[in-house]
Amino acid sequence: MYVYRVMLLLVFCGYLLSPLLMTGWGQQGSAWYRPFLIWGVLIALTLWLEQKRALDER
Amino acid sequence: MNAEAAAVTLLGLGYLVVLFAVATAVERHWVPAGWSRSPLVGILALGVYANAWALAGSIGVAWQWGYGYLAYSLGAAGSFLLAPVLLVPLQRLARTHQLSSLADLFAFRFRSRWVGTSVTLLSLTAAMPLVAMQAQAMGQAIQHVTAAAPAWLLSLCFCAIITLFAILFGARHTHAHRRYDGLTAAMAVESLIKLAAFLALGAYALYAIFSGPGELEQWLSGPAADLQQAHQLDAAQWRTLLLLFFGSALLMPHMFHISFARPLSRRTLLAAGWGVPLLLLLLALPVPLILWGAQRLGVADSAQTATYAIFALSTSPSVLAIAFIALLAATCGTLILTALALAGMMLNHLALIAHPPVEQPDLYRRLRWLRRALIATVILAGWGFSQAVDASTELTRLGLVSVIGMAQCLPGLLALLYWPGANRKGVMTGLGLGTLVWCLGLWLPLITPLPPLLAPLDLLLSLLGSDSLAPLPDWYQVSLTSLGLNALSLILVSLASSTSPQERAAAEACSVDAVIRHKRLPLSIADGDDAKKRLASALGEDVAEREVNQALASLRLSANDARPYALRRLRERIQANLSGLMGPSIAQDIVDHYLPYRHDGPPAREDIHFVEHRLEAYRSRLTGMARELDELRRHHRHMLARLPVGLCAFGDDDEILMWNDALSELTGIAGEEVIGAHRAALPTPWNTLLGDVLAGQRERVYHHAMTLPQGERYISLLRARLDTEAPADSAGGTVILVEDHSEMKWLENELIHAARLASIGQMSAGVAHEIGNPITGISSLAQNLRYDTSDPHVLETAQQIQVLTERVSRIVGSLVGFAHGGRHVGGNAFTTVSARQLADQALHLLRLSRPDATLAHANRCAPHVEVYGDQQRLLQVLVNLLTNACDACPTTDSIFIDAGQGEEGPWLSVTDAGPGIDPKIRARLFEPFATTKPPGQGTGLGLALVVSIVAEHDGKVEVISPLPGQARGTRIQVWLCSPVVHRSAQDAAPHEPNPDR
Repeated sequence: MYVYRVMLLLVFCGYLLSPLLMTGWGQQGSAWYRPFLIWGVLIALTLWLEQKRALDER
Repeated sequence: MNAEAAAVTLLGLGYLVVLFAVATAVERHWVPAGWSRSPLVGILALGVYANAWALAGSIGVAWQWGYGYLAYSLGAAGSFLLAPVLLVPLQRLARTHQLSSLADLFAFRFRSRWVGTSVTLLSLTAAMPLVAMQAQAMGQAIQHVTAAAPAWLLSLCFCAIITLFAILFGARHTHAHRRYDGLTAAMAVESLIKLAAFLALGAYALYAIFSGPGELEQWLSGPAADLQQAHQLDAAQWRTLLLLFFGSALLMPHMFHISFARPLSRRTLLAAGWGVPLLLLLLALPVPLILWGAQRLGVADSAQTATYAIFALSTSPSVLAIAFIALLAATCGTLILTALALAGMMLNHLALIAHPPVEQPDLYRRLRWLRRALIATVILAGWGFSQAVDASTELTRLGLVSVIGMAQCLPGLLALLYWPGANRKGVMTGLGLGTLVWCLGLWLPLITPLPPLLAPLDLLLSLLGSDSLAPLPDWYQVSLTSLGLNALSLILVSLASSTSPQERAAAEACSVDAVIRHKRLPLSIADGDDAKKRLASALGEDVAEREVNQALASLRLSANDARPYALRRLRERIQANLSGLMGPSIAQDIVDHYLPYRHDGPPAREDIHFVEHRLEAYRSRLTGMARELDELRRHHRHMLARLPVGLCAFGDDDEILMWNDALSELTGIAGEEVIGAHRAALPTPWNTLLGDVLAGQRERVYHHAMTLPQGERYISLLRARLDTEAPADSAGGTVILVEDHSEMKWLENELIHAARLASIGQMSAGVAHEIGNPITGISSLAQNLRYDTSDPHVLETAQQIQVLTERVSRIVGSLVGFAHGGRHVGGNAFTTVSARQLADQALHLLRLSRPDATLAHANRCAPHVEVYGDQQRLLQVLVNLLTNACDACPTTDSIFIDAGQGEEGPWLSVTDAGPGIDPKIRARLFEPFATTKPPGQGTGLGLALVVSIVAEHDGKVEVISPLPGQARGTRIQVWLCSPVVHRSAQDAAPHEPNPDR
């Protein structure tokens, strides 16, 4: 259940802060793939939480 | 048809042939089931979310809003990230109650067919723009590839092939929840193809147009600076888009269908939490590359041209073919699944509601063909809608209209899972208002030139002093207004109106956090066969037989099982299966009418057994404190189950809730057979005995004599009520302890008998004393007579008198000695005893109780053998052994007492020629009450006493049966201490009997 709370918090924070992702389109100085990197980190975090949950339930 | 059109047709057909081949290979098990049902296939199948919007619309949105296009993927990713709290509970509900669509779910939760019908109509209306979007995208694709006007005939043919595929691989079974592995695998292959094709297009843009990332960076920072005219999406609009796409991943008919109606495993859904976001990321990655590539080529100067940029990257046939296949893969899956989902909803909530299938011949066939016809209708309607929509309508607008329409179900869905207080009136009001605003504001303007109908609202807002909505895009206005009105009216109306008990029960079943309280309601059916007969009048004999058999098989129950618990589970399963067949509303009507509950018993209490059953099934899912509590529950349950005293628990309706191991052993009735059954269904005499105790006639029953398979037993029962002071916390019922007090009863009888014998012994001692005096007198007189006469006849007579009086004295002496002995006196009475004399005395005593016994040559003890011990207790040992030997032997002339001196010490043995000891009782031979004698003839204490006395003498008992070299006979050999050994041991240490020996 703690994992679910973390997940809920993560998604809610992501929802609130997500407009920040939109900046940097075609701008000099910021890599165009930055939003995808952030997204990738989020997926990795979810995968880690999922494995932790699976271990917890085993 | 020109060459390009023919090539496109062949390409499309070739692609569909691949899909057919994949689906067929999986359906016919040419592919291992482990592969086709793996989480990877499930995740890829969920990639059907990425439709024409993802591959075409997103590029247009990126042109317009920059990274704003990510809302489509990030919103859906949010839904899947929340899989454990959103998707898994929904899947559990859908699977448990066989709910195959959103309309089924709403109709089940709000116990209203009107709610189901409303959701169906809304889904149908909202899905039309989605279908039109796919059709328009395909039309544009054909136009771009063939450079000719899109042929309506070609798109109609495309729709016909899609219909055929959907019918062949998605509607072969009547039950919506049957496995469709072929279809799921085809969807997975589609996702794989569109991902590969789209990544290939992105790579083409990066390496063929830009010559690599370095040049792209240079271009972005240099000449492209002016081209990047994307407007940043307002934060509020961005969040609204995120919310809309978050909802669409759950609510769109095709997504609900693939996520919940298809049997994706829970493991797959949890893996989808990261798998689908990753898939969407990979699909979103090429979007900016393709857009920038098209911009560099100068072919994306507007949102409309950017939308189809994948066809403008190159004129190469291979690049065009890849782009065409990517879009085809994106649209096919959406069309197929949308048609299947909508056909199911229309069947359950429109067709069957209008014409209930009661008493219809060949129901399965009828439903199958109805479903197929509806699939064709949906696809045809979608094609018709696409023709009615203005061709210039933007792809993304069609998608947004569809998504906002389905989002009207989002407040209801969240309430369904997390707010048990929501009711059908609130949901209907919310859905009605939200749908009205959406329909007037967005849907109707797609096909009719209506004026903007939100103008009155805008006017109202300006009158109230709020900001005007006019500068904001209409989709945003409609989203806010419709969803706001929807949610607000749902909450207010639900709070203001009453909720029916059925709705409350369904709310508990659906709610994630609520405690589900299954009630023990009695049913009017007697067993599974009775259920078949009753359902036959509604479904026909064949269908009823098949449905009940299927339910019984899945529950592993027999058709004759009459336990109320089993019948309740059967009713639930039949209802769920019928729900998968005809939707929850019709299923509810049928079971309520033909398999009704009885309401004539005591108030229904919680079904504890079912709760336990479910906890056991879901045990692996419990975490944290719930897991700890479950461990505690299992521990307590284990304690009760393994309690060495019989225990059973009954509900107020006399339904058996618990039957522990000890009771199973005592009664010979297995717990699994009777738990959930009524008390009256127990075999005699338990039903009446427990019934008497439950009825309160007897709260305690002591030593109740019963004839059980293991013989005459004495049972004691103790009853306790389970009511507590707070009725809300109590499940009610009664617990009964059942103890086998047979041994205690026998011991009690033996004590009474022993007390009686003891009093006889005391009397015997008195009588012996009284006889002893005259006998002594007679013996003295006979002695005197011998001195006074020389007559040989008189002398012989006097001698005989003396011999006889000595005999009487010996008898009297033995009786007095035996009466005074017997009590444990420890080592104080230990003396050296001749084994032969001991055997003589024992035989002498035995003859008193068995005058007919022929034991003249029984004593074979050597005269020199001596033992050390309490003479009277050793006498008791021999008497007990001889008694057993006499009981075992038909002729007592084959009983012998032997004695000898071994290395370990002297021994005594009693040998008989009886049948030997039964191997069944041999292990328990020395246990108290272990006997093979008929009731009343033996107590089973004789040998136990022998072992006890021999242990006091530091000896041991050995059993040899049968005799060596023979098939019969028994020898009990008692090893004792030699007087010499004992004396030297006594010199070394004080005497301490070893009871363990």
